[in-house]
Amino acid sequence: MKKMTKILILSFFGIFFVFSTAYASGLPKVIKIGGQGILSGSKADYGHQMIMGAQLAVQEINNSGGILGRKVEMKFMDSELKPSVATKNARYLVKEWGANFLFGIDSSGVSMALAPIMPELDRILIVCHGATHKLNEQLIYKKGFRNTFRISVPTYQDGILPALVFKDRSDIKTIASLAAAYSYGYDSWDMFEKTLKKYRPDIKVVAKTEAPFLHMDFTPQLNALMAAKPNLILATPWGGEGLMMLRQAIYLGLFKQPWFKVWFQCMGGSIDMAEGLTPDVKAGNFHGKLWATARYLWNWPSTPRNKAFVAKFREKFGRFPNYSAANVYTAIYAFKKAVEKTKSLDTQKLIKALEGMKVQAPDGERWIRPVDHQACYTVPAGRYVYDKSVCPNAYLSDLVIIPWQKYFRNPPDYQLP
Amino acid sequence: MSNFIFQALNGISSAMFLWLIAAGLTVAFGVCGILNVAHGSLYMVGAYFAFTFFQMLGINFWLSIILALIGVGIIGFLMERFFFRRIYNQPIEFQLILTFAFILIFDNLTKIVWGTMLIIPNMPHFFQGAVSVVGRPFPIYNLFIIFAGIAVGVFLWAILNKTWWGKKLKAAASDRDMANAIGINIPILFTMAFIFAALLAALGGALSTPIRVCDSGVGGAVIIPAFVVTVIGGLGSLRGAFVGALIIGVVSSICTLYLPFIELFVLYLIMAVVLIIRPQGIFGEKR
Repeated sequence: MKKMTKILILSFFGIFFVFSTAYASGLPKVIKIGGQGILSGSKADYGHQMIMGAQLAVQEINNSGGILGRKVEMKFMDSELKPSVATKNARYLVKEWGANFLFGIDSSGVSMALAPIMPELDRILIVCHGATHKLNEQLIYKKGFRNTFRISVPTYQDGILPALVFKDRSDIKTIASLAAAYSYGYDSWDMFEKTLKKYRPDIKVVAKTEAPFLHMDFTPQLNALMAAKPNLILATPWGGEGLMMLRQAIYLGLFKQPWFKVWFQCMGGSIDMAEGLTPDVKAGNFHGKLWATARYLWNWPSTPRNKAFVAKFREKFGRFPNYSAANVYTAIYAFKKAVEKTKSLDTQKLIKALEGMKVQAPDGERWIRPVDHQACYTVPAGRYVYDKSVCPNAYLSDLVIIPWQKYFRNPPDYQLP
Repeated sequence: MSNFIFQALNGISSAMFLWLIAAGLTVAFGVCGILNVAHGSLYMVGAYFAFTFFQMLGINFWLSIILALIGVGIIGFLMERFFFRRIYNQPIEFQLILTFAFILIFDNLTKIVWGTMLIIPNMPHFFQGAVSVVGRPFPIYNLFIIFAGIAVGVFLWAILNKTWWGKKLKAAASDRDMANAIGINIPILFTMAFIFAALLAALGGALSTPIRVCDSGVGGAVIIPAFVVTVIGGLGSLRGAFVGALIIGVVSSICTLYLPFIELFVLYLIMAVVLIIRPQGIFGEKR
């Protein structure tokens, strides 16, 4: 009888513990995560890569028992790169579908539109691509929209890093821009010009051109640049537009000009561009002058963790992972870590948990800076090469690795490095 | 000066794409009275067809263009026969709603058939390379586009002015009822005119593929400058469309060189000035 009583009491406490934990934490049976990115148009591959990265993370998490025993369910929507559409999507995902967490976002403008509505939606948003520094410096740090985080590098990568990479090149004396005519393009060029001039006051800006969103014919811009004969061009149009622009530059003979030394394609290290550029890199049409960076590179660092991620990704999807895939993958794991730490889906507790978190990404540790919710990590710049024994696509080699501490602006003063 | 000449040449090349799209828009409006905002979608479908035949199926470049034209011609026939024919006498709002619906339909159909990836085929080998113009390399393909655009202009002029069919078109455009009264089969003529307009859009799309990105949203992107061109030139005037395209192409190109930060503004400024001074457009007629 005594034994029976003991079993009953233990069972009661066991059941009470299990149910009370679940009840107290308010965790639903299924944790829903809602993503959005560009799924249509010439930049659609970025959104599709986000879906792949998310699917891989969700599959891994569910196969290993979910988040605190809860299965993860994912829904992904097309933001069309439009703030109005993305806002509508975010409201739908949270209010109608019941998302516990939001991630994705390819555009700076969209990230700036969503950050202010996240407190109202009472959810965490982790931006995985949109790069404007205004998000972390102004909206999050200064205005205090603290529901939003960014797991990917900001425009410091596109503006400050290339300035540091090329500041010691004595053959570069004149520079020019071919900017995407929106925040990302202007911000990147502004940072590049200011940083480079700080180290090299002798550098001259000889031309500035720009192209609106969804531009198709870059020959007028390229001709204007060629007329000014710059040694270096910094270009920000990305995705399909970037690809077309580079092809048109080849046809105009830009890369054959002896005075022309470097084309820096800010997000040119992305997989869609690498795949598209392969025939021209293979044929030597860039004459070794095409440089780029990205927000993650599949071939750096050469660590077992990164290699395993790339191998898993290739096995599942038959392609190399782009940065949008790796960043979404990392964002979902950051969210998982925060939920496991707090044992809760309470937004304020999750914000506290994410602030200062060190999360393991495929390319290593990323530290989420508490003051501006910006993930800090290093991504190199490199020159495009082709070697089929390494990769079926063109890829970035001759990597210049500068630690993020050297080129990230540093709050609260946000001085240039 | 050489920069100016070179940039103007680039502008003429860009203008020829605008001209091909605007010409079809003008024919559809001038003859059938249809303001077809889905005209850009026919350009897009022409590009997708040409890409499929040339890049995916490995068919000869020229034959791919012809097949793309045939494909879009059939689509144009179906659109006119089953949809647009029913709204010729309806207010313009009906035309806008119907043609806008076609933009959405075509955008989604292309996503379903070709996916969301952008298409950029290889340049045909005989068009690779450049020729020297004022001491600078000018792509052979851009030069070809200039000649193709002019050839289409001459062809259109000859069709409209030197053939019996062209005269019937002009008669129908001028007075539909009178043309009908003298025995011209207006429904067939309108179908032919609409197919012809669709073919011009498809030609622009097919020729654009080696040097321009094509994706499921490009139809909406190309139609806006084409409308600017037709408004400047005068709705329904082919001569106006040609001159309007040249103005927009060359001014845009020159502005990129000298005033890069107001390039877009200048285009709409030109349109606004033309509308204030001559609301019917440079070559348009008062209606």
